[in-house]
Amino acid sequence: MAIVKLNVIDLEKSEYKGGKSSLCPGCGHDQISNVIIQAAWENGLPPEGIAKMSGIGCSSKTPAYFLGKSHGFNTVHGRMPSVTTGANMVNKDLAFIAVSGDGDTASIGMGQFVHAIRRNLDMVYIIENNGVYGLTKGQYSATVEKGSKKKKGSINSQNPIDLCAMALNLGCGFVARSFSGSKKQLTALIRAAMSHKGMAIIDVISPCVTFANNDESYKSYNYVKENDEVLHIVDYISHYSPIEEVDIPEGQYREIELFDGSKIILETIGSNHDTTNVVSALAAVHEAEKNDKHVTGLLYYNGSIPTTTETLGLTDTPLSQLNEEEGRPNEQSLVKVNARFRGS
Amino acid sequence: MNSNVNNFVINIATANGTGSQSSNLIILHTMFEMGIPVSGKNLFPSNISGLPTWFIIRASEAGYQAPGDKTDIQIIMNKDTWAKDVAALESGTIIIYNEDVKLPIEREDCLAFGMPMTKMARKINPKMAKLMANMYYVGGLAHILGINVDDVIKAVESQFKGKEKAIEMNMQAINEGIAFAAENWNIETEFKAESRTKNPDTFLIEGNEATALGSVYGGINMLSWYPITPSSSVAEGIIKWLPELRTAKDGGITCAVIQAEDELAAAGMVLGAGWAGGRGMTCTSGPGISLMSEFIGLSYFAEVPGVIWDVNRVGPSTGLPTRTQQGDLSMLYEASHGDTQHIVLIPGTVDECFEFGWRAFDYAEKYQTMIFGFSDLDLGMNRWPTEGFVYPETKMDRGKLIRNQKELDAVPNYGRYRDVDGDGIPYRTLPGSGIDPILYRGTGHDEDGIYSEDPIVYQKTMERLKRKIDGSRDDLPAPILREEERKELGIIFYGSMENTIKEIDDILESKGLSVSTCRVRALPYHSEVESFISRHNQNIVLEMNRDGQLFGILRKELPTSLLGKLHSVAYSDGMPPRARLYSEKIVNVLEEM
Repeated sequence: MAIVKLNVIDLEKSEYKGGKSSLCPGCGHDQISNVIIQAAWENGLPPEGIAKMSGIGCSSKTPAYFLGKSHGFNTVHGRMPSVTTGANMVNKDLAFIAVSGDGDTASIGMGQFVHAIRRNLDMVYIIENNGVYGLTKGQYSATVEKGSKKKKGSINSQNPIDLCAMALNLGCGFVARSFSGSKKQLTALIRAAMSHKGMAIIDVISPCVTFANNDESYKSYNYVKENDEVLHIVDYISHYSPIEEVDIPEGQYREIELFDGSKIILETIGSNHDTTNVVSALAAVHEAEKNDKHVTGLLYYNGSIPTTTETLGLTDTPLSQLNEEEGRPNEQSLVKVNARFRGS
Repeated sequence: MNSNVNNFVINIATANGTGSQSSNLIILHTMFEMGIPVSGKNLFPSNISGLPTWFIIRASEAGYQAPGDKTDIQIIMNKDTWAKDVAALESGTIIIYNEDVKLPIEREDCLAFGMPMTKMARKINPKMAKLMANMYYVGGLAHILGINVDDVIKAVESQFKGKEKAIEMNMQAINEGIAFAAENWNIETEFKAESRTKNPDTFLIEGNEATALGSVYGGINMLSWYPITPSSSVAEGIIKWLPELRTAKDGGITCAVIQAEDELAAAGMVLGAGWAGGRGMTCTSGPGISLMSEFIGLSYFAEVPGVIWDVNRVGPSTGLPTRTQQGDLSMLYEASHGDTQHIVLIPGTVDECFEFGWRAFDYAEKYQTMIFGFSDLDLGMNRWPTEGFVYPETKMDRGKLIRNQKELDAVPNYGRYRDVDGDGIPYRTLPGSGIDPILYRGTGHDEDGIYSEDPIVYQKTMERLKRKIDGSRDDLPAPILREEERKELGIIFYGSMENTIKEIDDILESKGLSVSTCRVRALPYHSEVESFISRHNQNIVLEMNRDGQLFGILRKELPTSLLGKLHSVAYSDGMPPRARLYSEKIVNVLEEM
């Protein structure tokens, strides 16, 4: 008899899987999809309570490849945040897991990215960042580093847009950077993001194996492996099983309690990085950029910012579940409205 | 009956931002409460302060609501337009002007009455002299028209609700204006306002506020909007009414309001809300529709319900932002790339703004697509009479919505996009339900919602979508027909032209024509429209745009045999339609036949 591993809500991991990927073999995005499956399973999220959101591009195709038991919406280019906003307003109980790319977010969708953060929409926003437009055959995107070079074409001479720096400047409460090849770090960060209430931005460097995996590309596997400045080891401990197998180091470490009672443990390695200090987070990002490095880990955390639906003072029942009596004022109220206009 | 009693046009020329709107509304409401059939048009600039603005008030015993073709009483306050306003007047016009502007009125053929309005206002309150000056012409006008001051007080109290000091100051100014006129203007004039029996139920309201209220009664759950003239007051109206009408037992609000970063985001939020099972809506004008078009196509193709109100202003481009037009109709009907077709509801009265306000959500969920409400600046931002709004006569229609496994099991051979019932409308499930989870997409998809580039699958999907929208024709609001025995001439029109059609009809009848009218209230057009056209010898499609947009739609969809009796009269200059002008254009077309 085979032993089946079940999560806290008694589901096998296969319940979280999706369709077959049509991305290039070895694509970083597929690794991220696997991590999303793993994280949702380990966190014991009910698949029917998740909403998968995406825009357009290679990364935005991936919701077809994970969480097949969850509803999803593959929207239009750069507009995933607005569709997520509308859905969140009428059903605040859904867990929104969104995937976007660097083209989808940093160029065509920059406005919506910015404003979703400003509103502190309650969602996990994963950017699968490879510095190129893959589906249209490898044009540079706005996140490509100055001096980086893709397989074909010339060296990029423009300054990059750093999405973590932007999120930090905009007051986002959960900002992290990771690498599709760092499975352990990425899993812990995505699990933590799923336990966070409010906007969680995770910028994941995800090499494009077809157009930009040459060594001169700053987002290639080899380059990232050699230039990854890991801020800290990240461990996630879920609220329902506090004795999960985690090696807690003897030295200095920081524990952060998340909204659902889960914890994230950051084992500080030499650096003085303080995740509660946005200036320190920005310094880490800019310092790394200056040295052509990638800084990864949880850059900043603040769990006390109210979300959009909290700010709006909505009724407790998700609006999409209201019945006719709750959604339409009664006839007597219209009699009163008419009377008021008549001045009587 | 003296034809100058309750039959005249007042034109008030002021500068924007000088508070003249209060004075103008006081005149309008005074006459309305006296039971005089009256209408008001605000011709305002795209500006907050300083540019010229005109307010036209028309009293008409026949109930004509168009601005009128000539001015009988001109009030002149604005030095910037002074010379032009004076020069434009027909002989015999009564002029009331502010002497303190110190500009000449060189019109011996007119009857000019001056009053030192600014000087008098300064005595009441030096700081507010500029604003208060406008109250003096209210007094002067009341004197000339023979309006009793008691009738004015009611309108002043309603304008400055509860602000005792403001009521007192403004009434003082009006009384001083009346006294000054009585003492100094010693010529009896021909125009008089006489009280009539007023239906106590009627009141004046802007179309946009009616739309807002209709939406609130339609169960709106999510309003996303981006400010744009002339639609902002729809959103502001909803926001205003939510606390009173849409607070739940737990004290929370049952509609989320988001001021979006742009119209693209506003449309995206509508789709998100509709996809997640809510009733989402946004309101905008032509420039916003241009930006929303990509999402409108997604709504059509992925079959996501939503509501967009377009309060039309003058295009193309930024156009004339504070003027009126019916220039967006063909864009709404076929918005977005590829083959699309959208349902458009076209109110012509404030009662219909309210009714289509709530019905739009039912149509959206029934047909699982974007529904447009199509209003315009004239209907939306001017005040029109109603006898009171009528409560929705039907329960909310959530359409083919599957909420649990039992309901799913009841649908044989279910697939998200499968035409199980033969009406082109499939069943849908909601995120959060766990029932038939699929990934919605704007890419090609098969009957189960799975990605597909198959030629037959695509072609069949597009045919079904056409069948679905086409099937809505006779379910949408039917046209309003006013038919003559002699089926000589039919006029097909829509929207705010309703307010001018009676006068156009009377002008044409006075020329010996027998005129039937057909007001189209929705697209795709009702089968009644087609039979109306076939019954009449000749038909004119009358509209406020350059190209004849409804004419184009009819010509594309009607049987070729009817096209010979269909003609276009399309004209737009940004102004609300004047009956004489449009009648002449109709006569010209008839003469050319």
